[in-house]
Amino acid sequence: MSRRLAPLSVPYRIAERGSQLAFGLLVVLVSGGNAVGPYVVGPLLAVGIVGGFVLLLAAYETAYYRRFEYELTADTLDIRSGVVARREREIPYQRVQNVDIRRNAIQRVLGIAAVSFETAGGSQTEAKLRFVSFDEAKRLQSEIGRHKRRAAPEEGEEAGAEAELLFSLSPRELAIVGALSFDLRLPGAVFVLVSSSTPFLSTFVPDGFGMEVAVLGALGVVVAVALFSWLVGVAVAVLNYYDFRLSRTRDELQYERGLVRRFDGSIPLEKIQTLTIRDNPLKRVFGYATLFIETAGYAPGQGQSRGSEAAVPLARRDRVLALANDIEPFGEVSFERPPRRVRRRYVARYLIVLGVVTAAAFGLSAASGRPFPWYGPLVLVPAVPVAAHLKWRHRGYWLGPDHVVTRNGVLRRETKVVPYDRVQTVIDTRSPFQRRWRLATVTADTAGSLSIVNQDAAAVDVDEERADDLRAELAERTRVAVARRREQRLERRREALGVAATDVRVDREAGQNDAASSDGEASRSGPGPNGELSSESGPGADGEASREPESSPDSDGEASREPESDPE
Amino acid sequence: MSDDLHAVDRADEPRVTSRRLDPRVQIVWAARTFVVAVVLGVAVFGLSRVLVSLPPWAPAATTVGVALVGVAYTVARYRLWTYEIRDDALYLERGVLTRVRTVVPFVRLQHVDSSRGPIERTLGLASVVVYTAGSRGADVTVPGLTPEGADDLRERLKRLAIRAEGEDAV
Repeated sequence: MSRRLAPLSVPYRIAERGSQLAFGLLVVLVSGGNAVGPYVVGPLLAVGIVGGFVLLLAAYETAYYRRFEYELTADTLDIRSGVVARREREIPYQRVQNVDIRRNAIQRVLGIAAVSFETAGGSQTEAKLRFVSFDEAKRLQSEIGRHKRRAAPEEGEEAGAEAELLFSLSPRELAIVGALSFDLRLPGAVFVLVSSSTPFLSTFVPDGFGMEVAVLGALGVVVAVALFSWLVGVAVAVLNYYDFRLSRTRDELQYERGLVRRFDGSIPLEKIQTLTIRDNPLKRVFGYATLFIETAGYAPGQGQSRGSEAAVPLARRDRVLALANDIEPFGEVSFERPPRRVRRRYVARYLIVLGVVTAAAFGLSAASGRPFPWYGPLVLVPAVPVAAHLKWRHRGYWLGPDHVVTRNGVLRRETKVVPYDRVQTVIDTRSPFQRRWRLATVTADTAGSLSIVNQDAAAVDVDEERADDLRAELAERTRVAVARRREQRLERRREALGVAATDVRVDREAGQNDAASSDGEASRSGPGPNGELSSESGPGADGEASREPESSPDSDGEASREPESDPE
Repeated sequence: MSDDLHAVDRADEPRVTSRRLDPRVQIVWAARTFVVAVVLGVAVFGLSRVLVSLPPWAPAATTVGVALVGVAYTVARYRLWTYEIRDDALYLERGVLTRVRTVVPFVRLQHVDSSRGPIERTLGLASVVVYTAGSRGADVTVPGLTPEGADDLRERLKRLAIRAEGEDAV
């Protein structure tokens, strides 16, 4: 049965688009009218034109509403839309990774919500419903979750259907999140403004005017800006994270948050690649930490907006650890530290940095003709061994039964938990400096999306020989874990469906052929289509390059990628 | 089916084959450094004309110097580049300054392409690109193969990926 959007979406869309359009038009017409002369476009005519546009818009939006249909079929979400150019889309449930619901204040009053369907492989939203009633949005979210489960049925179908609350942000934690938030946009703007106009501004300061006044004034501006951006930060944090709660159904995490705008999202547990626990010295002292959940391809709120919506912004450390353990049961971690000689390496490194800074200061002091205490940075020399020791102390890695856990950083310490079956490749790098100390860095690359900007889980500065072992061990554990997981999945499906294995394969293939190239589905089950091949590959066997074990050595994958053949 | 594959693979392959690239890949790499050298030379020439006065031989010296360093680097790079097809994984070792060793478990292979750039084509060389879902996936390129060698490697990797999968899934 196909459905329509909520009727209230028509007036809302008209108002939304209309207000933007009308404002733009008014500006153009009025200013344009002044330029061309009042004879050409009078205010009356302007209003008339705008009115015409609004009418047109109303007609368009009504048509949009009337021609927009969606339907939940057995295995796809079908959307038919478009006023002039028609568009029909069928999105297989398998491909839908997240169903996000957003409502702003007005939409909440009207009881409508925007639903967006995110798929793996790219940050782009696959489809949007603007708008359906909030109940319908929730229904869609749970229905799609249910359909996805049905595609991979397991024991106790309905048992895990209702959500279990994993975590909710306490008011106290929200207050701290707010208090620690700064909105950096204003200081940034002010900084750019001031730095670009300093020579200009300085002409305004009269010569007789004391330096003190100027400094005081500048200080006042700085304090005001800081205060303002802090207040904005508080407001933004409270608006975003008010009543944050994270719950789990059997195979999804669901989050809700926001004071005025409510966000409801879901993250399939299957797509989770890495958990990152981040803290800093201050948070450590008071026993707080932040948790990020990385998924393949799309992470809610990543990329466009700042911060991760699925992340726990701040909570008591024990609660964060408990939550992380709920999501990925990695158990008690006992880190193995790098060899002690690493500390000497860090001492050398910091001393070199200090030396360079001091030399630069000396050069500046000599060149400027106005000598200043260039040896200032040397005050930090006693702190060097301490810093080196701390750096060493906070580094570590641990190979658990099912997870590799790494920890790095002092000022921004990150503990990363990666299940073995999410590791994609293992990379061992040794810089010339590391080679001098017989050290290496072993990185476990995942398909996580944060990893492109952030660091992957890495055991930094481990002993060379240990690195050799670690590399082999990680690759082997990955292989075993992937195999085990795949076997379990196949087994479950076979049991649940009560059919022969070959049928399951064909079924799976149908679902997976749609999946985009390097998406989460493939990443979690390894080279997707290959598994099916080991049987006498059934019908519909096309696609990936890894087809045909024996035959046709020529050119199937040949032309598909252009030669980006620069390895470095 | 998968048993057949095992038999074939294990019969005619040693367990670990460590391989080097075709020496002609050095020409490809050297050609790239020459391009860089010429560009830098031109840049120095432009600089000497517009901004600072440099000795007239500076552009030529830059080009020659960079080219020499490039050649030395290329040779070192070739010497250090090896790859192995192991039982469960593709293993690459490379890098002159920073040594990089990459392990790509066969279960993680998404697909394998062979590609031929313009310089490679004129020399009759090809590369194999191995894709995983990892964020650094496309990093894994094996350059400096003959076209037959590239096809061969691609086919072997495919077969090994299938074997890895077959073993585990069934």
